[in-house]
Amino acid sequence: MTTSLSPRTLGIDAAPSAPGPIPFSRLVRVEWAKATDTRAARWLLALVALSTAGMMLVPVLAPTTFDQTYASYLRVAALGLTILLPVVAILMLTGEWSQRSVMTTFTQEPRRIRVMNAKLAVSMVLGGGAAVFGGVVTAAGLGLAAASGRTLEANLTVGAVTGYLLFVLLNVLAGVALGALLQSSATAIAASFALPAAFAVLGTASTPVSDWIDMSTWNWVLENDWAGHVPQISFSIVFWVAAPLAAGVVRTIRRDVG
Amino acid sequence: MITTTALTKSYNKVPVVRDVSLHCEPGTITGFLGANGAGKSTTMKMIVGLVRPDRGTATIDGRPFVELPNPTRVVGMLLDASAMHPGRSGRATLTIAAQMAGVPTRRVEHLLELVGIADAADKRVGTYSLGMRQRLGVAQALVGEPQALILDEPANGLDPEGIAWMRSLLRDFADHGGTVLLSSHLLHEVEATADHLVVISGGAVVAAGRLDDLLASSTILVRSPDPGGLAAALQVAQIDYVAGPGGALTVDVAGGRVTTEVLAGVARDHQVLLTELRQSETNGLEQLFFSLTAAKAAPPQEAAA
Repeated sequence: MTTSLSPRTLGIDAAPSAPGPIPFSRLVRVEWAKATDTRAARWLLALVALSTAGMMLVPVLAPTTFDQTYASYLRVAALGLTILLPVVAILMLTGEWSQRSVMTTFTQEPRRIRVMNAKLAVSMVLGGGAAVFGGVVTAAGLGLAAASGRTLEANLTVGAVTGYLLFVLLNVLAGVALGALLQSSATAIAASFALPAAFAVLGTASTPVSDWIDMSTWNWVLENDWAGHVPQISFSIVFWVAAPLAAGVVRTIRRDVG
Repeated sequence: MITTTALTKSYNKVPVVRDVSLHCEPGTITGFLGANGAGKSTTMKMIVGLVRPDRGTATIDGRPFVELPNPTRVVGMLLDASAMHPGRSGRATLTIAAQMAGVPTRRVEHLLELVGIADAADKRVGTYSLGMRQRLGVAQALVGEPQALILDEPANGLDPEGIAWMRSLLRDFADHGGTVLLSSHLLHEVEATADHLVVISGGAVVAAGRLDDLLASSTILVRSPDPGGLAAALQVAQIDYVAGPGGALTVDVAGGRVTTEVLAGVARDHQVLLTELRQSETNGLEQLFFSLTAAKAAPPQEAAA
């Protein structure tokens, strides 16, 4: 074991020039690594893949009760993805608080807003990648259905694909927002399942809740059914994404790291 | 290099750090000594921007930490060795730190060797002992080739061999012009490692200076056949004292204001006979530490251990 440090090692005598700020691309790369390089993260991503593939078996195996169209298969992929994808997003934001490695992260880059932006960027890349994966699973499901001799309606429009992508990304963003706001893995994951369920129940008693807040408003996005629903969709995005994310960013920037 | 001015922080209206001002020069190791909960960790976290002070400022190389473009290139820190992701390997943890700092990742291998955990580099940090985590933390602190180090209780969890290793590493770092601020609640550890000392108690600095100066003359022993008369004379002269063994009185030098000469003058003015007047024997830092901190009763609890 070496017990001595040469000046070269320490870089003190080398009169270091003031290094420039950390490029945003580097922050994104590091956050990407942190989000995907642990065993726990990989298992979770595998579960996302598995639940999506599992869901795809429903329309394949139950042809009589399920619309045999390209668009409806894609919607199944979306629903499969969004069971666990918000949890991945939550952990990206809360994991470092739970492991207390925020201490390292926020001393490496004390401009916390930049770290938050990097995590947001990574979550979008991850969400986009998941959406592509969902597309592949959809194609496989359609292939299986066609191979079994069924006739499928090829009704996939640009609007339908856009709605699908937006729906997946919105669910990821809702996870990011909840994680940023609550800063605790257990609390945020519990809330991500309990809150939508609670508002769904409230929605059965109150039409304003079911139209404006309940996450089922996002099904209009998924179904590419925008006509007359834009205000409701916008409001629910503010409620589930914009407001908690803004509050979470402020809270993250202000919070003392104990 | 590291300077704080009147740093002050309260949690729930309980003061944790009060007006802490300290200064660390390049080429020196400053020991930040205090009991658990004295406010050491909170002060260090304020220096590196993790905790925002209610009042006061902290600068590294003349700039607030949060304004350093790439802080780990200037100051390396080890604040809590247990605050690492347990699911990541030692090598992966260091690689991330190297990427953030923007140094070549081959430096990771060198540092793994340097801190002596190369053999365990691919094991997950969750399987590491506290001592190994401390070593990994030191490697992480050094990754950006910084000019200063801020280390919170770096000796925690290290075996005697590890402590000796840490000591020589820090001495080397300082000898090459580096600045070190390290905290400890272990008196002999600081005594053996640091050349400057800041003692904190109840959130406030109670002593600061060169270790040699602080150890040299903290108290004066003065003895008279008439202890009551001597005590009365000291009270008139507003000099603090405590009764020692055998009727002797121990007088605090009060930062140099009180000397043997001053005491002799007081005795003469009040016609008190002295039979003994000398610097107390130094019993090392321990005596100093306890004498300085004992005065401050009921230290507030620190929020983070």
